Amino acid sequence: MEITINETLDCKGLSCPMPMMKLAKTMKGMNADEVLEMIGTDPGTKSDLPRWCNKSGNVLLDESELEGGIFRFIIQKK
Amino acid sequence: MSANEKKTGILGQLHKTFFAKHWPVWLGGIVLGTLNILLFVIKSPWGASGGINNWGENVFGLMGIFGLENVKPLSTSFYGMLCVFLVIGSFIAALLSKEFALRIPPIGELIKGFIGGSLMALGATFGIGCTIGAFFSGMPAMSGGAIIFTIGLFIGVIVALKYLMWEMDKFPGFSSGKSYNLLAGTGKSGIWQKYLGWIVLIITFTVAYLYSDGNKIMSWFIIIGMLMGLISQRSRFCIVKAFRDPFMTGEADGSVGVMAGLMIGLFGFTIIKYFGIGIGDIPLRAREMTWVFPHFLFRALIGGFVFGLGMTIAGGCAVGTLWRVGEGQVKLWASALGFLLISPISKLFIVPPIVAALPPNWDFKNYLPDYLGYPGAFALVTLLILIWYVFVKWNEKTGRFSAY
Repeated sequence: MEITINETLDCKGLSCPMPMMKLAKTMKGMNADEVLEMIGTDPGTKSDLPRWCNKSGNVLLDESELEGGIFRFIIQKK
Repeated sequence: MSANEKKTGILGQLHKTFFAKHWPVWLGGIVLGTLNILLFVIKSPWGASGGINNWGENVFGLMGIFGLENVKPLSTSFYGMLCVFLVIGSFIAALLSKEFALRIPPIGELIKGFIGGSLMALGATFGIGCTIGAFFSGMPAMSGGAIIFTIGLFIGVIVALKYLMWEMDKFPGFSSGKSYNLLAGTGKSGIWQKYLGWIVLIITFTVAYLYSDGNKIMSWFIIIGMLMGLISQRSRFCIVKAFRDPFMTGEADGSVGVMAGLMIGLFGFTIIKYFGIGIGDIPLRAREMTWVFPHFLFRALIGGFVFGLGMTIAGGCAVGTLWRVGEGQVKLWASALGFLLISPISKLFIVPPIVAALPPNWDFKNYLPDYLGYPGAFALVTLLILIWYVFVKWNEKTGRFSAY
């Protein structure tokens, strides 16, 4: 299924807490069902983000690791 | 057994258990609390700021300034070596899980790292202890000062979090810009990280073995330090997270992990102090007063506040900074640099004149069992942890105090 990405958040080079702060703030400004792509390099995000989605009700549609140690997450606002 | 599991093999499965995914923070907290007890049994509890201060004193000693030429060499400092091997343990864990990379952040983040580290050094010197010595070990040591230090930490974290949110709103460019991610272990080409991880692990045990002839305690400090770094990296154990996240995203996992470590430590420390375990040739009273620092009440409060500001701006407490150094987070390298440079300067030039001007009752040792007995002190610390637990879990559900 094709996913339409509404917004991209670049958190490369940032470490805790900046990626999660930026993510939470950006998601707050989005409409329901819109999709955010987040890319980053902090390994902590791999465990922080799914936990936050679980708590906040947002849906983690996909997560993957790209070349060069870059993590990519696709999140849908609920 | 799945086809994939058969292909991986028994040792491969074991490796995956430890290094494929992050551990739950509560598991990290329990293991770290246990290792803290072991440190106390063989000598004294976990501490970090003293070790980082030793690094700084050795740096200035090598430069021949501040009259620190005859400072205790790092190779003979228990806590200096504990901190070194905590970094190495995290480096090993990051390599074995292929999570190591040199992560160079935008310049604004490097500046925040250095300032945060410097504030932590100042807070630790004034407050006599950091998030480890005066909190993660201080609370189980039943120190009244540790409770006050913790209150200071909370206030500092909340103020600094407000600052970070303000900065993100008003100056979003400060934490943006050019960044680099070097030596990442993605894909099959990153297999070198696993090989290097095993090599560094073997070197660590060799160094510990070399000390075992004349300095058995140091051997164990090296091994325990390495394990502490490894476990902290795998479980993402971080005390600033425990204090900050309930007020940021509302999450309680980091807090619960720290509470698990505190409770384990409280059981172990109480038994050690009550029975005088590991007393050697020192008086029982000295063993009881271990990690009860002379900072009650205002030195602990102000020191904790400044430390709380620093660790939130840096994005890592004393231990969170050290293990992130090991996994290649260059922002935390700046924080460690600020910490190690400013710590001896605070100790020599900034804090002594301030302390000299303070009322004499500002550096009092408050040992809770002296007032409440062992059962009362144990119950009070447990109650405080329980109140914290109820608060963070309630806040997680309601979002009452979370910013997002």
